[in-house]
Amino acid sequence: MDWGKIVRQGLIGGVALSFIVAVGLFEAFANRMVIDPILTSGWVLVLWVPVVFGYRATRQVVPDGATVRAARPADIAAGAVTGAIAGAVLGLLVVITSAKPDVRDTLLALSPSLVQRLSFGHSVGYGFGVLTLGGAILGAIGGGIDLVPQVVRRVVSTVVVTILGFAFGELVVGDILRSLGLRSVDQFFYAQSRGLKPLGAVILAVVFVALRFLLKGKFKAIRERIPLGTGETEENRATRRNWFLVLGIIALAAGAWAPNLFGLYLNEVLSNVGLFILLGLGLNIVVGFAGLLDLGYVAFFAVGAYTMAIFTSPASPAFDAPPQWAFFQALPLVLIAAALAGLFIGTPVIRMRGDYLAIVTLGFGEIIRIAFLSDWLKPLFGGAQGVLQAGFFPGEQRGGIIVQWGLVLATIGIITLIVGLLRLNATRLITAGKMSDIRAYSQPVTIGLLVAGAALTIFGLVSPGFAVWKIYGIEPPSMFRITLVFVALAAFVSWRLRDSRVGRAWMAIREDEQIAQQMGINIVTTKLLAFVMGAMLASLGGALFAVKLGSIYPHSFEIMQSIIILVVVIVGGMGSIKGVMIGALVLIGVLGGPTQPGLLREFGEYKLLVYGVLLIWMMLKRPEGLWPEARRAKELHQEEMLQDAWLNVEPASEGVSG
Amino acid sequence: MLELRNVEVVYSDVILVLRGVSLQVPDGRIVALLGPNGAGKTTTLRAISGLLDVHNGEVTKGEILLDGTPIHTLAPQKVVTLGLSQVLEGRRILGELTVEENLRLGAHTARKELEENLARVYDLFPVLEERARSTAGYLSGGQQQMLAIGRALMSNPRYLLLDEPSLGLAPIMVQQIRDIIVEINRQGTGVLLVEQNAHMALSIADHGYVMETGKVVMDKPAAELAQDEDVREFYLGLHGDEVASFANVKHYRRKKRWLS
Repeated sequence: MDWGKIVRQGLIGGVALSFIVAVGLFEAFANRMVIDPILTSGWVLVLWVPVVFGYRATRQVVPDGATVRAARPADIAAGAVTGAIAGAVLGLLVVITSAKPDVRDTLLALSPSLVQRLSFGHSVGYGFGVLTLGGAILGAIGGGIDLVPQVVRRVVSTVVVTILGFAFGELVVGDILRSLGLRSVDQFFYAQSRGLKPLGAVILAVVFVALRFLLKGKFKAIRERIPLGTGETEENRATRRNWFLVLGIIALAAGAWAPNLFGLYLNEVLSNVGLFILLGLGLNIVVGFAGLLDLGYVAFFAVGAYTMAIFTSPASPAFDAPPQWAFFQALPLVLIAAALAGLFIGTPVIRMRGDYLAIVTLGFGEIIRIAFLSDWLKPLFGGAQGVLQAGFFPGEQRGGIIVQWGLVLATIGIITLIVGLLRLNATRLITAGKMSDIRAYSQPVTIGLLVAGAALTIFGLVSPGFAVWKIYGIEPPSMFRITLVFVALAAFVSWRLRDSRVGRAWMAIREDEQIAQQMGINIVTTKLLAFVMGAMLASLGGALFAVKLGSIYPHSFEIMQSIIILVVVIVGGMGSIKGVMIGALVLIGVLGGPTQPGLLREFGEYKLLVYGVLLIWMMLKRPEGLWPEARRAKELHQEEMLQDAWLNVEPASEGVSG
Repeated sequence: MLELRNVEVVYSDVILVLRGVSLQVPDGRIVALLGPNGAGKTTTLRAISGLLDVHNGEVTKGEILLDGTPIHTLAPQKVVTLGLSQVLEGRRILGELTVEENLRLGAHTARKELEENLARVYDLFPVLEERARSTAGYLSGGQQQMLAIGRALMSNPRYLLLDEPSLGLAPIMVQQIRDIIVEINRQGTGVLLVEQNAHMALSIADHGYVMETGKVVMDKPAAELAQDEDVREFYLGLHGDEVASFANVKHYRRKKRWLS
């Protein structure tokens, strides 16, 4: 046994445990039940530590080509010792706290009730013993994990994931069950205090374990039919395109219908996620595509929100007679204002590079916020009071967005017309022999597109208000729907931009500025374009934010927002559109945004701590992000492969431990 | 005709790198620019293509003329549209992108002729067409050099400025690159070839310049240059009729020093 490693891991585990307890995470979660009387989520936050460190203490680093050392029963002992050390460190903390109550002066969370809880209502010595023993047992589980057959491991992991998922998602599950009219089911599984009932937990665990084994391999079989990244033949790409089309349509249909089911809380969370996806996609253009690190991105969000608020609010400070426009009337102005702001901020900073650019944009972000806050611009933006009643409908005490379906149809009609005309032109060019790209442009489809487009346009323009959809900002379900529409739009724009000439130019600038110049790319205008595009997407988010909240204050646009958006992009995978979505879902959806609650509301003020831990872990283990673009992942892992390559040359020796 | 007249380049306002370089690249010819490390060959190319800005350098005297109009004040992207395309030293392809994306990037200024230029490049380098969809970073060194040249050709240049295309390549690849340069030139593109491999450069060039410490010290038709005693000794490694012995070279060098 490697004693040095065991002691080291044990102490680190102990410090981690003590940290979780000492910052108050344990107490904050103490009243949230997982399984009603048995397990609180505070314990869940603590229990994993000895398991993980017990595992780490016995884990071997296996370089490519070396043989794996078989797991030994001694690993269990090693894990147990590690866990015991970790538990003992926590026990020591309890002992010290009860002996010297002064520690509370610096560490507020170390309260008598905590000592009480951690010594299980008995004396401190008893608590120390139980913690050490518990640590040892959990550590032994961690250390012996490789000895357990895979089936058992699968079952256990499924049980854990199921119970935690249902316990932490209780609010969401409850809402969904209630909107399905299954209140009794909800009451069967969940206790009054919103934890799972023990019986419910057992049933859920059994069902999901059964499902897992029944469905084993089914998903994989489906996934294998989608050729992802395997051989870039034309056929593969066509299949993949079709699959994504089908999945996209399903997602759209689900997105349109599902909000009815979700209940208020989940819809609220999801529309926040959508907002951050919008912002993330915008920042992704600037940081991910063009490689310009912008730390003042929230400025554009603010510009969008303020412009929207000023032109729609009946209490607008900027006008004596507020224009009180509708959302979509003000939207073009919002986009123009954001583009101008992008130019305004971009022009002076664009010649900076790397760190300098980051610092300067950070400054500009603050300048914009302070400008909104200032007394100087108070007649325009209302200073610290901000703008109230943003997006309020005339004569109503609440506001939001009015969608006139006629105009929507007209827009669709115009797009259809343009597509039809383009096809007509392409057909003409092909028949004239001026274009070699021959796809089957059938005449009937073209004519159909033209006719349908013209009909829709005319109908829409004649009766724009034949159907009106009033979206109230305070109604999460409809807000989520409209956010989804905007996200789809932003994703489409990002996707098309990425594969366009401009997108390639951005990529070239990101990779090698000199080469970009040498290719004849005007780097100043191209970078500015990235700034402006990013700003416009952010302003869309801002506009939604304004009508959603109904009031805008400068403090909504703190620097923290910029950082969080950047973290979303980094965690998701820089330059990857899917990645940004996943990043926002994980960070904003689960943990919550800077001011918005996520599914795990209890994290509250500890959110930033978790963000930090997650970010550090990502940078160490998965620097390319959760769902990166294929090419970037390849690049980042290529080095690792090259580093391990020399090992392949040597004959595989026995396992390297340590 | 591309012409440099008494060009002087200063980096960071203090470092004088080119001291009055004059040279000419006639239409449709290959001109070789030889010289030891640090002579200012790359700086000359940068001055022509406008890339001095990035390195904090500027043309302080003299002028660079393309068909009589000065171009040394123009931004690099403007120079490209005028028909000058440079292949930077060390290939510098964008490793993350596919081969075809790299080529399309090169066509940034000439998107109307993209299809024809792509066909032309694939014709010159069939191997690039085979690997059009694979990641450029995984190509071999020689293929990457081909890609770099192909990418420069995508802007439909009148003059191609090549900076050490043989750098770090196996002799057989050098041969291949050499043949390609000849072929590109035959199709009507003028070439300014900066090389350390004087043997390769002089074998295809029409005219040659030798630079040393920021000045052009020799300026002769390539054939004459190849026969020149000093060039033969210092650049081609030939000494008279016999192969130079290192001992002799050292001896000769030592005699030229002031103190000894």
